[in-house]
Amino acid sequence: MRSLYVRNIGNKLIWGLLASLVIVISVGLTAQTEDTRMDLQTKNWDGRSIENGAKIFASNCATCHGRRGQGLPGIAPTLNSHYFFTRRLEDVGQAGTLPLATYIHLTVAAGRPSKENSQWINRMVPWSSQFGGPLRTDQVEDVVAYVMNWRETAILQTVDEDPFQPFLDVSKPPDLQNIGVDPDQEFEPAQLTVSTVLPKGNREPSYLFSAMGCAGCHNLELDEDPRARGESGPNMGQVHAIVSYRENVSDSAAYIKESIVSPDNSRVEGYDDAMPNDFAERMTEEEIDRLVLWLLDENRESTPDQ
Amino acid sequence: MSVQEQSADKRWYSNLLRGLNGIFVYLTAGISANEFRSMLRGTPPGRPNTRLKPHADAFLLHIKPSYYHESVTRFTHTYRLGLLSTYLFLFETITGIILMVWYAPSPERAYVDMIRLLSSVPFGQIMRDLHRIGAELMVAIVTLHMVRTYLTGSYKSPREFTWLTGVLLLVMTLFLSFSGYLLPWDQLAFWAVTIGTSMAEAVPPTFVGEIINLLARGAPDIGANGLLRFYLLHVLFLPLLLFLFFFVHYYKVVLYGISLPAQEEEIGEDTANRVPANRRVYYLSEVLVDEGSFLLVVTAVITAVVVFLFQAPLEHIADPQQTPFHTVAPWYFYWLQGLLKIADKMWAGVIIPGVLLVLLMAIPYLDRNPSRRGADRRVATISGVVAGIFMVILSWMGTPSYAVQGAPPLEIVQELMPEEGVGLSREMGYAHLPNGVYDSREEYEVNEEFAELLHDFRHALESWDEKVDDFNAPWGQITISQDQDSLKRVNWEINWISAVGEEEFFTQDFWLHADSYYWEQYGLKKYGVPQFLQQQNGEER
Repeated sequence: MRSLYVRNIGNKLIWGLLASLVIVISVGLTAQTEDTRMDLQTKNWDGRSIENGAKIFASNCATCHGRRGQGLPGIAPTLNSHYFFTRRLEDVGQAGTLPLATYIHLTVAAGRPSKENSQWINRMVPWSSQFGGPLRTDQVEDVVAYVMNWRETAILQTVDEDPFQPFLDVSKPPDLQNIGVDPDQEFEPAQLTVSTVLPKGNREPSYLFSAMGCAGCHNLELDEDPRARGESGPNMGQVHAIVSYRENVSDSAAYIKESIVSPDNSRVEGYDDAMPNDFAERMTEEEIDRLVLWLLDENRESTPDQ
Repeated sequence: MSVQEQSADKRWYSNLLRGLNGIFVYLTAGISANEFRSMLRGTPPGRPNTRLKPHADAFLLHIKPSYYHESVTRFTHTYRLGLLSTYLFLFETITGIILMVWYAPSPERAYVDMIRLLSSVPFGQIMRDLHRIGAELMVAIVTLHMVRTYLTGSYKSPREFTWLTGVLLLVMTLFLSFSGYLLPWDQLAFWAVTIGTSMAEAVPPTFVGEIINLLARGAPDIGANGLLRFYLLHVLFLPLLLFLFFFVHYYKVVLYGISLPAQEEEIGEDTANRVPANRRVYYLSEVLVDEGSFLLVVTAVITAVVVFLFQAPLEHIADPQQTPFHTVAPWYFYWLQGLLKIADKMWAGVIIPGVLLVLLMAIPYLDRNPSRRGADRRVATISGVVAGIFMVILSWMGTPSYAVQGAPPLEIVQELMPEEGVGLSREMGYAHLPNGVYDSREEYEVNEEFAELLHDFRHALESWDEKVDDFNAPWGQITISQDQDSLKRVNWEINWISAVGEEEFFTQDFWLHADSYYWEQYGLKKYGVPQFLQQQNGEER
């Protein structure tokens, strides 16, 4: 066997020298590009945070705030909105005290426990595990990053494009909240109560359908199909023909009224018990009857007015 | 000029030289500058050998032998594997301590610290990559060291105890590497360690297993306590233990000397410590230069690989609520995972590994054959090779490619756009995913990369159709839509007909941001120094 032990020190010194050179060059090249690398890594991880946020938003927030953050009338405010990114902080009196991202973070984390008698049907629950919610802090941060990512396109919206709904919980009157109006215009602080906005007893069915939050779970345009069921409640595109596709229904008007008044008795298999059971208190019987008629009207306009 | 002046001049000069030489002797613990020069020239030592003084005076040198037998210094005899293992331990200690500066062992901080290390710490990524590749290399090198010792029969008398401590060192290396696995607190880490610790649960009787598991995890599930415990194991307990056993091991190595090539001595004889004068290779300076240059070359290779090729993976943050689709152990525990697939937890997780370990330690006491020559130990060699092949097969069985199969639609999406890792979809990136609806049954005019994705999608659908009875006439649809500015949503929908003739469908959403590159994955670096340089020069990527 040929001996692999080389006694010549010179050779080894040259190897050592070459190796040192490789190390110096590699580390030198790394040093050269560290700024670029750190910059790209920062963007990379910000991007991934937005991706994570998108997933969480789609499965938790989109039901009320809409898949594209457009909000749902009467249920949850718009997030993908020019107003939200430019005026909202000022209107709630927080401009200058905290950045919008922090405001969103606080809202997501702690919810909105104070909104008992508000224009929104459901209260926003606390989402952070810190306050008993289901999301970890890093997940809340991801959601905030996702919502903040609407900014770029939202601030380009014109007055007509902004899907925003006026907030009734601020002292600024709704018509002054419009992004077409000068934000610095002087105004008399409004003393709005919710009852003036939603006088009970004489409300349009289409208004009720959105204001009571039905639209959050029930889609009026899609048909209820075993392959394409509504996510949280049955679709109502063909509800006038409910007798044809729901076996235990004989009188459709009575069935739907029963479902609204005491939803627990007519729960459809496959949906969890998300439907509130206090509609009888929040609407008059007359209103409910008209709502049922409107739902069963084959020719009703598919999109409810706001 | 008078003679007296000249000599005064000379006295000043030689005084300075003598002074400098004194400093040199002080620093080298006994080597004069002249002696050092003759060492560099390769002149053999004089008699008495003044080059041995540092071995008596300097602590670090006194534990090294002053000379070796020429035959054991041959590279092909030991491959320097023991030296390399020791060096890697040192390497890991240094890179590890630097990483500790940027790390806090709590679930709230750990993963965030990782991202901060990668995005805001200069040289942070290279340190992490070096530490990671060093750890994996250390496991491999220590194992190879053991294989070499086994094949040359070097564990035989009088080195039985050296072998035993060596096996313990291997176990410690494995645990050291494994305990570091949890620290990044990502999905990969969390689930690998959850599986690992759950094996401890199988220790009989039941309550003992539960207690061991509880001690390791600090709670029924891994959480803040478990992370802290693994951190302390990783940075304190195991390194100290390994350090201690290293010295026991190395003392024995020096005491008995490195075993000579078997052909050079009589059977049953051990002459490693009787080195004839003409076959001595002195540590100072020949072996020192040899080892130093070897380690420099290894370091250069590691550095170059890390800078240009390798990167340490980092998956999503650990989520106890979400088990990843295919959970895998680190590669050096694949064989255990393979065992777990064919035997129950108590056998595969405790009894078989335990028996294997005891057998491994007992090899020198079981093998009574006095000869170390290859021709005399065919049984030992063959059984070693067979055991090795078994390990490779078991390891292959430990990978997801064996006996683990999810539902076909899950597998298909996992292949092209996995929950963790890259997949073809992320590899081609945001820019190559055109918005639109793409049905697998139709052809589209799209860019080359996306056409390949559609092709792979079709191919996966077909091959699963053939493989699985419950998955017939499948077709799929990829819907790519602009969810936000610079954020695309990729929806996968797969429809098929089940064995009983019912229509079934599966759908899954993923999002991809324009800025996310998915670097932190195993495999070749997709984005490294050359690309950074290009970008700095203003070229498009």
